[in-house]
Amino acid sequence: VSTFRIEEADRPHIIRLVIIWVVLSAIAVIAELLFLQIPPGNQTVQGQDQTNTMLLMTALATPVFIGVVLMVIYSAIYFRRTGPELVDGPPMRGNTPVQVVWIAASTVIVLFLALVGISTLATNSSAQTVPGQPSSGTAGGAASEMQVQVIAQQWYFTYRYADYGGVETTHLYLPVDRPVVLHVTSLDIIHSFWAYQLGVKADANPGVDNVFHVTPQKLGSFQVRCAELCGIWHGQMSDSEGRVVSQSDFDTWIAQQQQDYAAIQKVVPSYAPYYFPVPLVKGS
Amino acid sequence: MARRLSFTAAGVVVVIILVVAFVGLFMLRRPGTLEGQPTSIHLETVGAVASANEWPRPDDPHPDWVGYLPTTILRVPANATINVQIDQEDSATGLRNAFWGKVFGTEGNTMHMKYFDDKGNPQEGDITTIDPTQAAHTFAIPDLGVFVPLLGVSANAPAGSANIVTFSFKTKGPGIYHWQCFVPCGAKTIFGNGGPMQTLGYMAGELIVS
Repeated sequence: VSTFRIEEADRPHIIRLVIIWVVLSAIAVIAELLFLQIPPGNQTVQGQDQTNTMLLMTALATPVFIGVVLMVIYSAIYFRRTGPELVDGPPMRGNTPVQVVWIAASTVIVLFLALVGISTLATNSSAQTVPGQPSSGTAGGAASEMQVQVIAQQWYFTYRYADYGGVETTHLYLPVDRPVVLHVTSLDIIHSFWAYQLGVKADANPGVDNVFHVTPQKLGSFQVRCAELCGIWHGQMSDSEGRVVSQSDFDTWIAQQQQDYAAIQKVVPSYAPYYFPVPLVKGS
Repeated sequence: MARRLSFTAAGVVVVIILVVAFVGLFMLRRPGTLEGQPTSIHLETVGAVASANEWPRPDDPHPDWVGYLPTTILRVPANATINVQIDQEDSATGLRNAFWGKVFGTEGNTMHMKYFDDKGNPQEGDITTIDPTQAAHTFAIPDLGVFVPLLGVSANAPAGSANIVTFSFKTKGPGIYHWQCFVPCGAKTIFGNGGPMQTLGYMAGELIVS
């Protein structure tokens, strides 16, 4: 067992480093908690979870980052070689207590973050209930999960509302405080449905029903864009007219969509979990 | 040693010049802009750009590709009503998403069409929806919310005939708006998604609003 003691000459450095580290870490963590805007924000319950998780991880990583950088800068300033000759430093050997402490602390932090991350992932991939509302559907269906299909195609997203006769629309409207199941699929090639304010980024593959749960909790607009390079107009495959609206506004809007698209709805195929790229084209 | 270095340096310079030339030529290759009356657009859709009724391109590098002619780069004024005529000469392929069989975003959410029915008889009228399986192409400007399906020419129509489609839409503020076809009409490419569907001057275009 090696012995470990701090040389008398090093004691002021240790005290100074610890004080600087504690003060800088406290300032940085408080500033992060107060001012740092981490996406995706709080438009959905899932987005809020992701933001909180990222904020927690950032706050825990900050003291570690500051400690490492501080040590490097401090050493460069105070322990810089000034003389012309090269002289070996004192021999250093392993120190069991220090190693035990740092391995134990690292293990605890990593396991804690893993549990938080797994918990957030599990929350994001399962049905949610709105705080203060029952988990089962009410008479008005306010708390029941609404099924919405996201259909990617070169180069636009359309949406089908399974609970409203499978009506297809060109924009995504969601009612606030109502859990939604997004079924993401594609009609042609690989796309990716990314509505970052909602906290959703899901691969859209032909023949696949990719399921995500979101529960909007804040009124407002959100942007939809494709996050998978999908051809000449990939960069234009976006829509800034996504909306989270009140249930009554949503009811009005969806009724209007059903009316506007009634004629084409008669020839649109029945709602299905996914589709395959048909038709093939002449000459292919 | 010096000679080997010289050869290597010369080789590197030649490769750099070739790469820059290739990229530069690719960047410069761009169809012309449709000039003329600023609020009126006249286009032609064909099954092969080399054999069009009005603006054939026999010297085109891809003579058998489908395309909008004479060009797909269109310049129009901002906040104006644009009148469009499309002479649709291609046969049907069918829409992958039947939803695009509806006209929307045009004035009155309609288009006027002179066409030939299944028996080859001439017809004319205001149309709001076409049979999705009979679509040849679409003229769609997603950012302006304009989606117009174009009916394929009937197999019983007289040779060389076209469906004449007219409609109007309003532009927004200045900018470059992409426009495209939603029919997978890139024949001889995987699922019809490649070739002309991915190339300016054929089934991809820009609406320059200035």
